[in-house]
Amino acid sequence: MGLIELAAAKALASSAVFLFITLLMMAAAKRISTCIVLFSIQSAIMAAEILGMAYAGKSVAAYAVAALVITVKVIAIPYALFRIVKDLKASQDVSSSTTGAQSVFIMAGLILLSFFAVAPYAITLRLDEDLLAAAVALLLAGAFLMVSRKKALMQVIGLLVLENGIFVAALTTTYGMPLVIEIGIFFDLLMGVFLMGLFVFRIRDTFEHLDVSKLRRLRG
Amino acid sequence: MNLAINLIQALLLIAIAPLVSGIIARSKAQMQNRRGASLWRPYAELLKLFRKQDLVPDTASALFRFAPVILFAATATAAAFVPVLHPSALFDVSGDIILFVYLLAIGRFFLMLGAMDGGSSFGGLGASREALVSALAEAPLLLALISVAILSHTVSLSGIVLATVRQDPLHLSAVYAFALGALVLVAIAETGRIPVDNPSTHLELTMIHEAMVLEYSGPSLALIEWASAMKLTLILALLTGIFAPWGMATNASIAALFLAPLVFAVKLALLAAVIAVIESSIAKLRIYLIPDFLGMASALAILAVAFTALMR
Repeated sequence: MGLIELAAAKALASSAVFLFITLLMMAAAKRISTCIVLFSIQSAIMAAEILGMAYAGKSVAAYAVAALVITVKVIAIPYALFRIVKDLKASQDVSSSTTGAQSVFIMAGLILLSFFAVAPYAITLRLDEDLLAAAVALLLAGAFLMVSRKKALMQVIGLLVLENGIFVAALTTTYGMPLVIEIGIFFDLLMGVFLMGLFVFRIRDTFEHLDVSKLRRLRG
Repeated sequence: MNLAINLIQALLLIAIAPLVSGIIARSKAQMQNRRGASLWRPYAELLKLFRKQDLVPDTASALFRFAPVILFAATATAAAFVPVLHPSALFDVSGDIILFVYLLAIGRFFLMLGAMDGGSSFGGLGASREALVSALAEAPLLLALISVAILSHTVSLSGIVLATVRQDPLHLSAVYAFALGALVLVAIAETGRIPVDNPSTHLELTMIHEAMVLEYSGPSLALIEWASAMKLTLILALLTGIFAPWGMATNASIAALFLAPLVFAVKLALLAAVIAVIESSIAKLRIYLIPDFLGMASALAILAVAFTALMR
């Protein structure tokens, strides 16, 4: 067994654990920039996973998808988010409605829940249970981040984490979607982040804060 | 032969403890662009304190004198349970993970009693804060150790270390990852480092450990300082032993026995450097945020225990 094959097998076997670790750290993170870095790391773990699959399956399309993930999710989107954070000149606090310990407890509960949720499917479909659970955990975690964090930028990051979950789910159940569709999804995502960035600026200019819990009335 | 190595590793932990705090202080100073004191300064400090007079407050009872001795003795006994150079320890009884945790707790309990016996208001303040921190740190510490014990099917520290040594170093188990996270947070709280407690402060609003030892002087203070340095070294040795024991002497060959202390020294120095980086880059937490900090450790420890059932 060559060294590269060994690394590919290890990347596949332990990527679920690394994804869980990034989720728990996101729950504990107090600053928006930390969350952006963690999102970038999370996407890098996914890219490693795809590279492992591409090596095992000898598929050229998978290499292209991995390259897309690295350029869009690991570099471009975090860079754009960092620019937004810098230009907003707002405070870095995520302003969570749960305390740090509560968030980590809830995140731990979501991870366990996702294991119980996928157990029947993993057996009948003969899939990797850990990775499927990681996909469901990413979905739940993204939704949790969106509802519990009050800063408008954290809703964007929550949505991106949720999207990562859908991506991992597609990867584990069908070994990824066709390349054309992947490209479409990435383009969509990039446009989405730009639009949401614009929205965040509009919210800041109209309301002079980014706290979505205070957005109760319509304003012109 | 085995007995000799066990004895040497227990004494080694006791002897190098001041050096570890010296390394941390030195690397912290260098990160802050200062030259820093010599690595051997903690030894000189201990020697100086042992030669000085032991002043006891008029209000104190005999407990005030006994507390540092009991603290030192309990910590030194705990040192005999930690495998360092090879996966076996001087005292190796079944269930010693629990004994190890509570030997440290006994020492801390007597330190708190001694602090309150000293009669100054700072002693009581420090003791009550220490009681808060230790009560919150106990559950995650035990849970994390138990999760590792479940995974390795043994409740002795040497057995756990032996099980990890035999594992494939590239194999990453979720239980180990979560238990490591919980234990690192607990270790910071237990040893009173930043962000939970600042070991070099004497500001009454923030200090925990330093408030407890304010009334102590001379040989008593030396014993307390040595014991707390030893506790730090013990917990670092425990972390390397459970999570990265590779490099320990698994057979009695001369080469392995010479290599083991070197590898241990490198690991310890690396951890000391990590502590210096953390202490130079993170601010101390407000005291009311410490329950939150240790709550994260509890969540990780519970997750680690739950994963022992999932990861089969």
